[in-house]
Amino acid sequence: MADQGLRITGLRCSVEGNEILKGIDLAVEPGRVHALMGPNGSGKSTLAFSLTGHPKYDVTAGSATLDGEDLLALAPDKRARAGLFLSFQYPAAIPGVKVPNFLFAARQAVRPGELTPAKFRALLLERMDVLGMDPSFLGRYLNDGFSGGEKKRLEMLQMAVIAPKYAILDETDSGLDIDAVKDVGETVKALRASDEGRATGFLVITHYPRILQHVTADVVHVMIDGRIVKTGGPDLANRVEREGYDVIREETGALA
Amino acid sequence: MPSLLDPKERAAALEAFAGTVSGREKPSRYWKIDVEAIVPPSNGAAAAGTVSIQRPTPVIACDLHAALRNHAPLLERAFRRAIEPRHKFAHLALAHADLGAFVYVPAGCAADEPIVIRYAAKPGETIFPYTVVLAEAGSRATVVERLEAGAGSFVCGVAEIVTGESADLTYASAQFAPSDASVLFTRAARPGRDARVTWASAELGGKLSLSDLAVNISEPGIDAGITALFFPTGSEHVDVLSNIDHRVGDSTSRTLVKSAASGSGQGRYLGNIRIAANAQHSDASLRDDSLLLSKGAHIDSIPALEIGANDVKAFHGATVGALDEESIFYMTSRGIERAEAERMIALGFFEPAIDRFPTEELRDELRAALKEKVTS
Repeated sequence: MADQGLRITGLRCSVEGNEILKGIDLAVEPGRVHALMGPNGSGKSTLAFSLTGHPKYDVTAGSATLDGEDLLALAPDKRARAGLFLSFQYPAAIPGVKVPNFLFAARQAVRPGELTPAKFRALLLERMDVLGMDPSFLGRYLNDGFSGGEKKRLEMLQMAVIAPKYAILDETDSGLDIDAVKDVGETVKALRASDEGRATGFLVITHYPRILQHVTADVVHVMIDGRIVKTGGPDLANRVEREGYDVIREETGALA
Repeated sequence: MPSLLDPKERAAALEAFAGTVSGREKPSRYWKIDVEAIVPPSNGAAAAGTVSIQRPTPVIACDLHAALRNHAPLLERAFRRAIEPRHKFAHLALAHADLGAFVYVPAGCAADEPIVIRYAAKPGETIFPYTVVLAEAGSRATVVERLEAGAGSFVCGVAEIVTGESADLTYASAQFAPSDASVLFTRAARPGRDARVTWASAELGGKLSLSDLAVNISEPGIDAGITALFFPTGSEHVDVLSNIDHRVGDSTSRTLVKSAASGSGQGRYLGNIRIAANAQHSDASLRDDSLLLSKGAHIDSIPALEIGANDVKAFHGATVGALDEESIFYMTSRGIERAEAERMIALGFFEPAIDRFPTEELRDELRAALKEKVTS
């Protein structure tokens, strides 16, 4: 179908009156992995938040559709139920809400009625194993007192149990050690190998190419100053690593 | 029949009730009720109210009349031994002391099952329930006080705990009174050396509820805990006071207060921690958090730390605010509807306090009552 995919067209977005995204065109097809690279402050996270519907991010122009559905017209919860998932860079801590209760509520919201609580628990433990997470996580409150690495693992666990149609990983690799980055890669692989996640499309936002050694990107985009200035194959990530963003900035004439 | 108080003592207590001005805030834009002006709708007939008690076998628990008849020397050791009225309603409850329960936990006795005391007031009735707990050295027990308050009833009560050395006593109370009832309680404990005493109190109903919780630390090695949660909705008023008095050192106290208000609910919390000049190596913490769920709701939180000693640990933290938008966004981004996300966050907010209440049954009851309040 022609409208399959997470399709972003001419997207402009402002935060508190400042335009951050200056016209983004991007399409993530089902089952494919796109990497979005760029220096700090280039607007990568803004793209993630504007797609998921954070109230502070004001989309002023353009469109975004998920398998043909107009995302921008939907409240954040409906976007998630349409199949969109964001792995937060800084997820909120919510004391008093137990991890498994939250995960079950999220799973039920996105994929209602498919799993009994017992089957859900089995799935949860299996996915936790891939992430090397101790079952004691299940007794803890959501992100409450979690280290940076634990929060990232929990984000990945959520992605794994929700099995979204499209997953945006917002710098999930940042602040993680090599083993943890590998676990992120394994989680993505395991999801793609599962029936539920076979067609999941990924947008992997990252500052460093490191994560792309574990999650192979089909397409790499470079974003600078709120625009995608270059799109290419996996080689583009290697170039970024070798030459840095400044060379690409100069080459493409992106405004400073 | 012997009497708890002679007529002179009762008259003196009534006089103290009339004469005590506790310096409570007068009605204002934020606090619409005059606590000082409250008088019971009736003086309470001698037979008003009922008490029923459920206890595990090694524990003595009976109503106050039976205690006077059969255990007077024991009762004597605890009755009026912990309470130091800071509030006029303690005097009022004392003046009318008649209905009540006495709990005696023998030395070394570990009671796994809670002792449950149920007070009941019929619609429109005024009752003055008075609970006395004496826990001997090395004993461990949990008391759960329940109240069935009828419509328009007025309940003014006291609970006192006295313990021996190394006792471990938890006293939980939860009231879900109808929105036209008044419930005013004064609760005070005097633990023995190396003892642990924990108050857990939930005010989840009543047009006016007042809960005054105190632990007087006059022996070393004590671990004192106060947990309070309250949630005025509609036009309810809740007034909670906590007072931990470190009179000697080497003791620990933990105070945790969680409150929310919605509708035009009004709440006030006054938390006192006093560490006397000679109470070195005291370790006190006070944490209170308030959640405002509507524009008309109001909660005043007034913690006071009065620290006279120099080698102590004292922590205080407080927050007042609305539900966190970032938290709501996070949950909705997982497909959870906004209203459900708000409900989950608000209930989660109380969870650390609920956790400190005994028995899963009571905790679930608290969760259900809070859920109803959050949803309404």
